Amino acid sequence: MIKKHLITRSPLRVFEDATHGGPGRGALAVLASPKGVGKTACLVHIATDKLFQGKPVIHVSYASRVDYIITWYEDIFKEIAKTRRLRDAVAVHDEIIKNRVIMNFKQDGMKTEQVLRSLEAMITGGHFNAETIIVDGYDFALAEPADLAKFKDFAGRMKLEIWFSASLKETGGDLAGPDGTPTILAPHVAQIDVLVALRAKSDAVEIQVVKDHDYPPAGVLPLKLDPRTLLIAQ
Amino acid sequence: MATTIEKMRNIGISAHIDSGKTTLTERVLYFSGKIHRIHEVKGKDGIGATMDHMELERERGITITSAATNVEWAGHAINIIDTPGHVDFTIEVERSLRVLDGAVLVLCSVGGVQSQTITVDRQLRRYNVPRLAFVNKCDRIGANPLKVRDQLEEKLKHNAVLMQIPIGLEDRHKGVVDLVAMKAVYFEGEDGADIRLDEIPDDLREEAARRRIDLLDAASMFSDELTEAILEDRVTEELIHAAVRRGTIARKLTPVFMGSAYKNKGVQSMLDGVVRYLPDPSEVENVALDRAAESGTSAEIVLATDPAAPPVLLAFKLEDGPYGQLTYIRVYQGRIEKGSELLNPRSGQKIKVGRLIRMHADHMEDIPEAAAGDIAALFGIDCASGDTFCDPSLDYSMTSIFVPEPVISLAIKPKDKKILDRMAKALNRFTKEDPTFRTFVDPESHETIIQGMGELHLDVYVERMKREYNAEVETGMPQVAYREAITRKVEFDYTHKKQTGGAGQYGRVIGYVEPMAEGAYEFVNDITGGRIPREFIPSCNKGFKAAVKKGGLIGFPVTGVRVVLNDGQYHEVDSSDNAFQAAAIGAFRQVYAKAKPQILEPVMKVSVEGPTEFAGAVFGSINQRRGIIVSSIEDGSFSRVDAEVPLSEMFGYSMQLRSLTQGKAEFTMEFLKYGRVPAAVSEELQKQHAEKKAREAK
Repeated sequence: MIKKHLITRSPLRVFEDATHGGPGRGALAVLASPKGVGKTACLVHIATDKLFQGKPVIHVSYASRVDYIITWYEDIFKEIAKTRRLRDAVAVHDEIIKNRVIMNFKQDGMKTEQVLRSLEAMITGGHFNAETIIVDGYDFALAEPADLAKFKDFAGRMKLEIWFSASLKETGGDLAGPDGTPTILAPHVAQIDVLVALRAKSDAVEIQVVKDHDYPPAGVLPLKLDPRTLLIAQ
Repeated sequence: MATTIEKMRNIGISAHIDSGKTTLTERVLYFSGKIHRIHEVKGKDGIGATMDHMELERERGITITSAATNVEWAGHAINIIDTPGHVDFTIEVERSLRVLDGAVLVLCSVGGVQSQTITVDRQLRRYNVPRLAFVNKCDRIGANPLKVRDQLEEKLKHNAVLMQIPIGLEDRHKGVVDLVAMKAVYFEGEDGADIRLDEIPDDLREEAARRRIDLLDAASMFSDELTEAILEDRVTEELIHAAVRRGTIARKLTPVFMGSAYKNKGVQSMLDGVVRYLPDPSEVENVALDRAAESGTSAEIVLATDPAAPPVLLAFKLEDGPYGQLTYIRVYQGRIEKGSELLNPRSGQKIKVGRLIRMHADHMEDIPEAAAGDIAALFGIDCASGDTFCDPSLDYSMTSIFVPEPVISLAIKPKDKKILDRMAKALNRFTKEDPTFRTFVDPESHETIIQGMGELHLDVYVERMKREYNAEVETGMPQVAYREAITRKVEFDYTHKKQTGGAGQYGRVIGYVEPMAEGAYEFVNDITGGRIPREFIPSCNKGFKAAVKKGGLIGFPVTGVRVVLNDGQYHEVDSSDNAFQAAAIGAFRQVYAKAKPQILEPVMKVSVEGPTEFAGAVFGSINQRRGIIVSSIEDGSFSRVDAEVPLSEMFGYSMQLRSLTQGKAEFTMEFLKYGRVPAAVSEELQKQHAEKKAREAK
């Protein structure tokens, strides 16, 4: 039960147009912002958009409790169902959540190999053919460039795209280096295909493409994050 | 024996299966003078260890039910509650844990922290039970108690501190070095009952000194006095004991003992540890719910471990012995003696305490009284497991142990009519002993149905019926409770008319049925102007109610349906209660198919816990059973998978999981919701139903 209008008219199509089709299979994308700007909401919106297309998503969380993440999905779904006047919302909801799995890891002491091993077990052992993996709460300060390389290799091997969120500190020049890359991500930038920054402005949150594969980045997009619903909107 | 509270201990011995828990318990009984001979589990003399007292357990070498026994050690009274170590009987484990103040976690010196150690440790944690560790089987090949200590830290996150180091391992295991007294302890003589203290062997001196520093470091965290004494070099054994005790009771430190119960090494030192470091009943907080408290006020009462207060006790275990029903109790507050009058707030019944006894596994001792903190048993009391008894002036209930709803039914039939009585007696007994086991007679098939928490759970009772009650039964296929539901609103207009001589029958009902999200059935009367006389409205309701009891798809009840009656017709002479009931039933049947009914099935919330290495196998097994994986949580080497799986697909899962994970994973499940069955399954169920009906028609 795929709802066409929810897909074609999604503001995320604007994002994909601006980034040459989005990250794509085998690619890593990072959504960076200080805490509280709306990274998780954004990632959940991206995941929900995939779910509407009938594409399975694995949501990896390093920090939050599972029920907290589920609440995010419920809230984002309700907002979309409301703004898009979705009929038989309950049936659509029941249909799409079958394609969502949440995996929770404790990052300290949990090696990247082990996380990837479990992801692979879910995909192959569990016959869960994820096309997208959302990784929320990953601490880039603890990560080695080699860790991200392993994720990249995994994305390529399993033919899926991986979306990370990166939390930036407001002080200490974390927000942006000379080319707009947050300093905390500088050691990893070679592995990142698409890098998007969220910036809080007075009336809404601005969305800026900082890196777009090997293309010149599109810069600030004609999209914003609605401060009330935290949905991406035009 | 009257004991002051400080000299009482209520402990459990918890372990992975085959860690030698029963052997250890047996040795404890032996060394404390309770028994005079040592038997082995599955012993050559055909007599099992004393604590395993059910025949079935003896045969399988596992302990299923818990028994309590009282021993004396170093002037202390220790009640040992034998906790079962098998995953399929967790209600037993949880009930036992409820009454413990402390526990000994037994580990195998070769196997170390095993999957079930993780499970029992988690249960102990849930009930805030302080524990000490005993690393058993130091005589085995590959024994490494120091490695086991590391695992306690890594896998169970215990602040595990060695209280001893071994003197020799495997076949050269002779004793231990006591790191508090800094003495070698040898267990000599026949059965290791003669304890000889000696100087630490030269080759162990350096290691002992090093490990003692670790011990002092850890213990000093809980005592400023000890810290000062260390700095001033005037450490005494008492200071160390006091600090370790404080850390243990706060559940921030786990003292580690070691030995070999089988070879009679180290058991006595472990008992010293129980007395020294585990809490007495007054050091543990227990709460009851005051049922008389007004709603909205805090009803939780902290019980006073005071013999002078009005008594409150919990019946945590029933047992059918050769002399009648034995009720194991834990006294939380006050004291009871023969003749004490007690109230069971659940049933409102008052009882008088008759014989009061203290149990050894297979023999009993009459006692004059039992006071706060004590565990005893009562004779001839009629109650259910988990009941609270209190002074008639109180209306307290010990917070009830969580009892899940049964998820599986099985029809049973006595193999021989003559055993019907014995079967009934057994079922009556089991339902009292185990709140998760239920039984009833199906009004349609007249079959006796038993319900429980899983296949193995029911298997054990079928087996016990045969062995203990000589009542052999045949079992049917496990059955799942389906439902039917309509999915769209449909109008009905139905006339029931019969004129075959004599009084006729006439009734016409008009209205609609529609699905509703909550509730099973609702009847709305929207009739105006007396189109159907008021006295026949209840007849219509009765008719619809009867109709929804059996849906047209597979004969299971229809749920979530609202019936709205808004018009109709009657006949002065021919209308009657029966006629309108028949009209309602006819109307429902007439429109049922048009309302697009579907079959619903119980969907269970399933949690599988086990080592991460088996995650792939677990994911696969859930996928294979039409399950949806909701989440997976990994913490270190341990993982939990939460999923939603139809109950009908869960049969045989415990066996599959055991073989997929070498018995290292376990699962729990509970009812979550009724969910729509997929089209293919629905067709299959309808086909089976049609075949069954055809068979019945013949």
